[in-house]
Amino acid sequence: MRLLFILGEIGSGLRRNLSMVISVVLVTFVSLTFVGAAGMLQMQINQMKGYWYDKVQVAVFLCNDGSTAVGCASGPATKEQQENLQAMLESPAVKQYINDFQFESQAEAYTHFKEQFSNSPIVDSVSEDQLPASFRINMKNPEKYQIISETFSSQPGVETVSDQRQVLERIFSWMNGASVAAMGVAVVMIFCAVLLITTTIRLSAFSRRRETGIMRLVGASKTVIQLPFILEGVIAAVVGAVLASVTLWLMAHFWLNGELSTQFLNTPFISSAQVLVIAPVLIALGAGLAGISSLLTLRRYLKV
Amino acid sequence: MIRFENVTKVYEQNARPALDSVSLEINRGEFTFLVGASGSGKSTFLRLILKEDKASSGSVYVAGQNVANISSWRVPKLRRGIGVVFQDFRLLPQKNVFANVAFAMQVIGKSRSIIRETVPEVLKTVGLEGKERRMPHELSGGEQQRVAIARAVVNRPGILLADEPTGNLDPITSMGIMGVLDKINQNGTTVVMATHDDDIVNEMRRRVVELKNGKVIRDEAKALYTSMIPVVGESRRLRDASGEELNRAQGAQL
Repeated sequence: MRLLFILGEIGSGLRRNLSMVISVVLVTFVSLTFVGAAGMLQMQINQMKGYWYDKVQVAVFLCNDGSTAVGCASGPATKEQQENLQAMLESPAVKQYINDFQFESQAEAYTHFKEQFSNSPIVDSVSEDQLPASFRINMKNPEKYQIISETFSSQPGVETVSDQRQVLERIFSWMNGASVAAMGVAVVMIFCAVLLITTTIRLSAFSRRRETGIMRLVGASKTVIQLPFILEGVIAAVVGAVLASVTLWLMAHFWLNGELSTQFLNTPFISSAQVLVIAPVLIALGAGLAGISSLLTLRRYLKV
Repeated sequence: MIRFENVTKVYEQNARPALDSVSLEINRGEFTFLVGASGSGKSTFLRLILKEDKASSGSVYVAGQNVANISSWRVPKLRRGIGVVFQDFRLLPQKNVFANVAFAMQVIGKSRSIIRETVPEVLKTVGLEGKERRMPHELSGGEQQRVAIARAVVNRPGILLADEPTGNLDPITSMGIMGVLDKINQNGTTVVMATHDDDIVNEMRRRVVELKNGKVIRDEAKALYTSMIPVVGESRRLRDASGEELNRAQGAQL
């Protein structure tokens, strides 16, 4: 009986305050979408780190015809220099830091280059001897890059030692920045949402002061009087959170996994199923914020 | 049923207290009129019984319990034992007569079957049989007040507080309302009624407690509404100076 009664009260409250309720839904929707987007960016960063860090290599590039580095003064790397480098890589002093290494000849480099830029006209302007041969080294611990760099960069026949990780780190720090920005917007929007919920509950309590006054007089408990108002706020916020979750899912499904994954074949995108991990967090966050802000509002504006 | 022991209520420091060390006992089943000018402390008296306000000093006992010792989560239980009626009826305009009365039972969790059984009974007691489906705006003032009384007593409270229940009604309708209140009192409910309506007080001949500036200046059984009140009462006395009213007052003193 009491449950039915409370449900009825919630229904009439939502109907009476429809425009305010819709604005609460929209503001929570937008704010939680930003929260979720920040979360998704973080998930994407982790996903890419896990995927790329296993694959990134330290590359020791050998001199070729066009090299201008100091170590390349004597022209392209000779067979002898190349064997010398290989011997160093196999020596125990270096071996303890690396898992394995491969030699990539200029011909192989050209093949890889053509694969990677198959869609781009740049392929036509590059010839095989413009690309350097290289040793591709898989590190045991990518943090130890410095040791390899110091050992090899001064060797004759070596043009440069490059760490692919550094390129990735730049991408990740950019993505991190975007995620922090999204979180910043989210915080401002959540603040708006809380203020709006507070105002809505206040209006709702005011428009039903006659009912609550009678409820008080006939001895209705605090729960029966306050619960409809709190649930009103919570329901509106949860609807907003569900909308945000659906939007994020659609974004992951159609944009990341549909559009972007066909453009960036080598990039691992988070799956739309992973977004479902964020959804309950958003719903709990929305419900919690609305619940707490309504409760605090009622304490001030609804005498019991 | 209701006992005030040296109760003082101060709303604002430095201002005259709304109630000034009032001691009073109202017994179970009694019908008491609370009279006095506006600002004499009648409403404060009623608010203290409901624990809407806290006494500044002294103790208020309702049904043997010191209301100061009732914790805030048990206040609803106290209020279930007290029905209240106001001058402005306070009905819910979008609910019909039945729903208005049923509302008081719904919010304290009474079952649907009990509500369906009790509400028509109570409506019969207040003389509104067959008007269950009417909306408040379709009723006369007297009928609206009967609905409000039905709502106040539907949960069978031991006490009924009425704050100027006839203030908005014409004399004949008021008499009808008094009949209803009398009937409820006959059934064992303690009734405390704050009023300005001298005709009613004189007609009913019940206990009269008169307040002035927060003090009890008169407490008489089977009494009349004497003309000792200032301002409003003063002018009334002048108007009635040569008439019946004066004679009645003299009769009371004899």
